[in-house]
Amino acid sequence: MDHLLYIDPGSGSYLVQVIIAAVLGVAFFFRNIVTYIRSIFTRSPKKTRDKPSS
Amino acid sequence: MTDPIQPGNKSITSGLSYRDPSGFVFEDSGNIYRQVNKNFQVHFDHFIESGFYERLVKTGLLIPHETLQVPCRTREGYLVLKPERIPFISYPYEWSFDMLKDAALLSLRLLRESLTHDMILKDASPYNIQWYKGRLVLIDSLSFEKYDEQRPWIAYRQFCEFFLAPLMLMHYRAHSLQQLLIAWPEGIPLDITSSLLPWRTRWSLHSYLHIHLHAKVSASKSRTANKKIIFSRQKLLNLVTSLEMLLNRLHLKDRDSIWSGYYDEVSARGEYFEHKKRTISSWLLRSEAVKTAIDLGANEGIFSKLMAELNIQTIAADFDPYCINRLYLQVKREGQKNIHPMVIDISNPTPAIGFNNEERLSFLDRLQADQLWADILLAVGLVHHLAIGKNIPLPQIASLFSKMSKILIIEFIPKDDIKVKEMLAQKKDIYIHYDEAKFESAFREYFSILNKELIPGSNRVLYYMSVL
Repeated sequence: MDHLLYIDPGSGSYLVQVIIAAVLGVAFFFRNIVTYIRSIFTRSPKKTRDKPSS
Repeated sequence: MTDPIQPGNKSITSGLSYRDPSGFVFEDSGNIYRQVNKNFQVHFDHFIESGFYERLVKTGLLIPHETLQVPCRTREGYLVLKPERIPFISYPYEWSFDMLKDAALLSLRLLRESLTHDMILKDASPYNIQWYKGRLVLIDSLSFEKYDEQRPWIAYRQFCEFFLAPLMLMHYRAHSLQQLLIAWPEGIPLDITSSLLPWRTRWSLHSYLHIHLHAKVSASKSRTANKKIIFSRQKLLNLVTSLEMLLNRLHLKDRDSIWSGYYDEVSARGEYFEHKKRTISSWLLRSEAVKTAIDLGANEGIFSKLMAELNIQTIAADFDPYCINRLYLQVKREGQKNIHPMVIDISNPTPAIGFNNEERLSFLDRLQADQLWADILLAVGLVHHLAIGKNIPLPQIASLFSKMSKILIIEFIPKDDIKVKEMLAQKKDIYIHYDEAKFESAFREYFSILNKELIPGSNRVLYYMSVL
């Protein structure tokens, strides 16, 4: 446990990236689903392309 | 290739480069070189051989360099590079909001591009980004190393502290908090940033993750050790997307500053303004070999543009960050290559900071290095702000200006001018030394007055002076 005496300032940042990436993975997964569903509803009726889906 | 580096010459290792073990910058006979060290050979060779260097240079994202066939400076050396020289180095605390934001977005773009060549941006410092020929470019060709997919982004924290922290503080609190970058030359610590931001930023996913959670997790030391951390390319790309989404939401609130609209008001006075422009143009054309200029109190850069059109490289400096931000956006939109917009308060110019006060030079040191940087100094509508607004005596203003350039174009605005009257209406008139005669005698100590012209339709006077 000697290396605990010196904490690399970057190591906390490594751990936080793992946590953040996990949260983002979930957030972006749901965002993609929402975008996909929205695109179905905005495109299908009458096939008007006036409004972009996102 | 000839050897431009004289072996006997004393070379100076640049104060800003010795922290990175992959190489260093040194100066020799007025030229700038970069040594690549052997410990970085594998990464640098991949950078060149993969075609990534060429791509970056072609797209204008990286400053081009020449590889020299000369001996290295130290035994650890692998190669010596000679990058193109940046005419004037500026620092992130001198940039306007959108310039800093563009530098942040450029760093993320460089990171994305590097991944397509199996490399990763290992350094996300705004000091590695400079304003060059009308755009922001990366100046450190040792910023990329080979990518290991399992490792997170080593420069993530640096990115958050150097870019996200000041931009969020500027967006949510005040533009002037950018100056915290002077207090923390390695980026504004995230716990400080977190405590200064409004509570509501915790309710926004991206700002919560990159600032508040980041600050909290980094502080909890015991949890960070001994953990096997495995990352992936997709996770990294998600992180970058999230940072980009957050950055794109940040804006400089378009509040009217003290000086915005100044020229609209001035131009309403028609002939007066046109005459001023004509006089300055004729003086600029007369002085031969003017290649560089500094426009102090540039406001939205009307006179800087005048000089830029004459192919004079111009630093447009003003203490008002809103004016400079508008100028930056305009310069960027129009692709104007000769204007370098900077937020500078000449009554309190940027100090030197960092180890030995040599890592980042003061604004005046950069102007005075080796020889004077600017061939001409333009100070139009400025002296009354320094003399009356800031109580700086005229002889001291003259002394400062004489150290900045050999030629000076300056305007004197007397006390009976409407603008000065407005200033004096708010305070006691203690300025018994502020008149045209005393102005001239103060400046004659340092300059010879070559031309003097009263601007019709006003009692303002323009001077063309040369240092004694």
